[in-house]
Parts: sequence; structure tokens; C-alpha cells
Amino acid sequence: MKTVFFHLMPYPELPDDFAVEHRSVWVDIDPGLYDPQVGHRAYNEYIDQLEYAATCGFDAVGINEHHSNAYGLMPSPNIIAASLARTCPESVIVVLGDSVALYNPALRVAEEIAMLDSITGGRIVAGFPVGSPMDTIFAYGHNPATLRERYHEGVELITKAWTADEVFSFNGTYNKHRYVNVWPRPVQKPHPPIWIPGGGSVDTWDWCAENDLVYCYLSYFGYKAGLKTMQGFWNRLESLGKPRNPFQGGFAQFIACAETEAEAWELYREPAEYFFNRCLHVYAGFADPPGYKTANTVRAGVEGMVARAAREATARQEAAKAAAGPGKAKPAGGAQQLSFEAMIEKGYIILGNPTQVTEKLHELATTMNVGHLMALAHFGNMSTELVKYNTKLIGEKVLPELAGLFEDEWEDHWWPQGMDATSTAASSGSTVEAGA
Amino acid sequence: MRISYLHGLIGTPTEAPILSALDGAGLDAAVLHLPGFSGTEPDPSTRTIADWTFALSAAIDDAGVTGAPILATSVGAMVALELAAIRPEAFSQIVAVAPLGLWDEADPIADPFAVTLSAQRRLLTTDPTVTAPFFDDPDDLSGDALIEHGVSRYQTRTAAASLVWPIPEFGLAQRIHRVSTPVTILWGADDQLAPPSYLDRFAQSLPNMAGTHIVEEAGHLADWDQPVAVAEATAKALAGR
Repeated sequence: MKTVFFHLMPYPELPDDFAVEHRSVWVDIDPGLYDPQVGHRAYNEYIDQLEYAATCGFDAVGINEHHSNAYGLMPSPNIIAASLARTCPESVIVVLGDSVALYNPALRVAEEIAMLDSITGGRIVAGFPVGSPMDTIFAYGHNPATLRERYHEGVELITKAWTADEVFSFNGTYNKHRYVNVWPRPVQKPHPPIWIPGGGSVDTWDWCAENDLVYCYLSYFGYKAGLKTMQGFWNRLESLGKPRNPFQGGFAQFIACAETEAEAWELYREPAEYFFNRCLHVYAGFADPPGYKTANTVRAGVEGMVARAAREATARQEAAKAAAGPGKAKPAGGAQQLSFEAMIEKGYIILGNPTQVTEKLHELATTMNVGHLMALAHFGNMSTELVKYNTKLIGEKVLPELAGLFEDEWEDHWWPQGMDATSTAASSGSTVEAGA
Repeated sequence: MRISYLHGLIGTPTEAPILSALDGAGLDAAVLHLPGFSGTEPDPSTRTIADWTFALSAAIDDAGVTGAPILATSVGAMVALELAAIRPEAFSQIVAVAPLGLWDEADPIADPFAVTLSAQRRLLTTDPTVTAPFFDDPDDLSGDALIEHGVSRYQTRTAAASLVWPIPEFGLAQRIHRVSTPVTILWGADDQLAPPSYLDRFAQSLPNMAGTHIVEEAGHLADWDQPVAVAEATAKALAGR
């Protein structure tokens, strides 16, 4: 199994009463809540944490893209990846990913990923999400009815641009180019591995299954709730007569590890509550615009992960207001919030000592059949000190126990190949010293 | 009198009260549907305002009502005005109920899709129960038929969203001076989506205004809140009274 240290980069200083006083962490969050000094510190600490994880036994570091929100401060994952490309010289970098439909032209993604692949010597995974409704439909104003068509066309253009031997013309609906000729070319051939993060669309299962792409379910709600979704993907693969290679699957999981279980309960309560009760405080009206889901997904009755989080957050806020009554100015703070105990019990967070965490991650990987784990060892407003503690424990005591999982039976066709070590810039001594 | 009727944001279910009200007012309405509304097949190639306008142009030809008057509401009225700007013979008269298509930053039109479904229902009419034929599931449906009913409703909402996303202004202001067809504008007095102040903007922009009328106790979809009043106002406008 391969493990990716995945970071969401949330804004770490939302006020205590955020979920009571504010409608949504996404789209129309009050710009006055953003303090540039806090942002400056957060970015640098988060990059430190990613660099640290790269030295702790994780196979990769991972980042993603979101807009107009305090949930994740990465409107451009490629900027963070560019930083990591130089400071994590041994690590795979999983950009999960670039929201292709938001780039005009989509060729920009082909160029930037090719740059990253060149700088890293072929250590890049290219993730192509459709993007959340909040990001794509509301923050960027795309028509929900045409978003997926635009997305698929963009992915087609990017992969063709990476692989075509000649300059070509592309006459798409949204991308029209007389000359397509991406320089630089990616190091990896035919192109960097493509992973598709999904939130529960049945058509994404189909697409990944039919095109041999990795399906990554980036769930907030843990492996217990994610099993049904992953099973849907594996069923789709099986129906096509394709093998259930675990490395074609990915899953995100919050992890809270400490020397003892009691210590873990003490250490991780605050950041967990911060994440689930503030960072996921999304107004339900932003989570399910008509047209974002395909007719097949509506027909299947599958509720997307974001829609679920938003529905629950809005219901909690409305219940709190109702409980406060018309005569009271504010609802009782926290009374309606999701409890830490519930998060652990439902599996949203895997918590425990290294042995317990290992057992649960093993259970996750084998029951869901996923060979790529996006480990969220940072969440909410966790301090760097605690992130490093969590990361080190996972890296040193958990990952070695899981490293061989699936490896003897299956081949990971979706992992970066990298360059021959003797061919890299580092081997020729032309890296940091040359630029110093 | 033979007219055509073009829906607003929630299409025209067969139970829509405006249909019987028009009949009662002596108007023989051909019900038009833009692609994806009310169970019609969505057309993925209908993406731009030009595509929607062509779709309406084809619809009136196919229904044999080219040159007849039209009653159109909300997004439907926007598309009807777009068509009238480029095809003057399309309609002999237009009765437009709260048309969209203009935009004033100081007085913005609300976003009908950045809300929950129940909130959207409250946004569109003063009495949310009147839109039950669209928002509620029929009691006599179950199983796959009920699922397909839900899919159809979703596709109507998808088509409607396409017509207002991200802002329901696609350049009508640059073309509206070409609308030579006589236009009567009706507006719900309690429209929470498009402020009634837009009535004045349309009245000032259209070169051949035939009249205006405020529909009392009605929201954005005035033809759902007050179908009889809208039908009678339409008949009156078309009779030149």
C-alpha cells in the first residue's frame, strides 16, 4: 500500500462562534475574517508540515484545490507543488488536483503539470477533479449543466497534448486551438498517472473504470461510511471484466495517533471539532445546484459527500436557532455540534495508539480494497507540533506495518515512475548548489 | 384567440393552474417547452442564449404559432424578448411576466439556486403551496415511476439554472431596442426574486411598450400565484383594452 500525507490547508483561526454567527465557510464567508498575518503563518507552517512528512516514511505528499473558503487555502495547488518539488527531493507529489474545468484554456494544466514533472524528474501524480459545487459553480460561476462536459473535454485535451507526437489542432466546444504544442513535455511516459478524486458520482465510477484511471474517494466521513461508495466503483470495474486492483482505488482518512489511546482522546479533540464544526460548516444551498449531478446519479439516489456535509451543517444551525427560541439572541454555543465521540465512533477519524491505528487502517484498506491511502494527519487548527507528533508516529510505527499490503499480489500501474537516479539533476550536482 | 404560453423557472406541469385559467379567459394556448423542461428531452448542445433562442424559434414553428401572441414568464419571457429582437415576425404581441435579462448591480436579482429546495420554493411564489405540482411528488407514483419523476424535476431545474447562470444577463440590453413587437409587462407585487423596479427598466428600454400591470399578492411566478388574474390581464392586453 502507498500512503500519501495529504493536507487540506484550512484557515486556522475561525472564531469560536463561527457556526452560529456565519452561514457558510465556503462561497460567501465574510472576507473580514481573513487575517493576512495568520494566512502567512499558516502557509509556511503547512509547507513545513508537508516537508516534514516527506522525511517520515510517507510515500508521497498530497495537496488539492479549492476556492473562496476557509476550508482549504489552496486555490492553486500547483504553486504549493512547485515549492515542494524542490524541498522534497525524494517524495512523490500528488496534486489531487487541478480542477480542469476552471482553467481557460485547460492547456494551462498540461503545461504546469509538465513543468512540475520536469522539475521533479517524474515524481508527479496528476489529479483531475470535477471540483466541488462551491468551487466550480458558485465561486467560479460555471454553468452546472455544462461543467462535466467542459471537464471531460479539458482532460481529453490535456492527455492528448502530453502524448501527441506532432503539433495538432483541437476544435472542442470550450477549447479551440489552432496549434497545440505543449513545452515542456512531461518526463513520465506516456504521461503522469491520472487520479480522479470523486465525491460519489456514479458516472465518475464509470469513467474511471472504463479508462483505467484511479478512483479516489475523498470522504470526510471515514471508512465505515465510504465502503458503499468504493464498492460501487469495484462493482463497476467487475462488470467490465476488469481486475479489482487495489491500486486503482484511493481513499482519504483522518488519523489521530498518539502513544496511548487516552492521550489521543486528549490531544485531538479540539482540532477535530474545529474541522467538522467549522471547516465543514457549508450552507446547504451551495452544495447541490441542479445540473451538477448527472441524471444517473440522481437516479441512483447517491448523495454526494459535500452535499451530505452541507445538509448536516445547515440542519445543525437551523436546529440551534430553533432551540434558542425567538426571545434569545443566540443559540446555545456548541449544543448542536457534532461531538468528538461521535466522530470516533462513526469512523470519521481513526484514533488510537499506533497498534490500534494500524489495525484500523489495515481493516480500512482490506475491506475497501484501496491501495492508495490519503492520510490526513493534520486537520482543523492542529498545531505544527501536534502535526509532527502525529506524522512521526504514523510514519515510524504504522506505515511500516502496512507498506507491503497488496504489493505481492498486485502491481501499482498508477504510481510515478521517476527518472533513473543517475539521470536526475540531483545526481549531477546541479540542484540547490547551482541556484545558491 | 390562439396564443402560445412559455414557462418560467419550473416549467409547465400538466397541472399548472395557468392552463385552465387561460382557457377560462378564452385563450387557446399552445404550451411550449424549452429543451429539458417538464419532461422534454434535455439538449446538451443548448448552452448559450443563442441556442435557447433558436430552440424557441423552432418551437413556435413546430407548434404552428409563429406570428401569434405569446404569454411568457421569467426566463421564458427573457428568451421570447431575445427572439423578438432578431425575428420580428415571431410574435404579434408579447405579454411578459417578470422577464429576466437585465441586470442592475445596485438592485441585483436574487440567486434562485444558491438556496435549498424549500427556500427556493418560498422564493418563487408568495404561497409556496401553489407550486405543489412541480415540487411535490404525486401520491399515485411509486418505484421507478417516482424516481423518473424526480429525475424529470431535476432536469427542469437544470435547464432553468442554465438560463440564469451565473447571472441572468446575456446581452439583452444591447438588443432590446430591436424588439418592435408590442410588449405588455406584468409583475408580481411581491416578487422576491426580481425586484419590481425592473419593470421600469424594461419599460424604459422597450421601444413599443403596450402597457404594464402589477399583479397583487403574487411573487415572481405570478402565473402560479394568481393564474386567473394573469390570464385576465393577458386577455385584456391582447384585446387592446
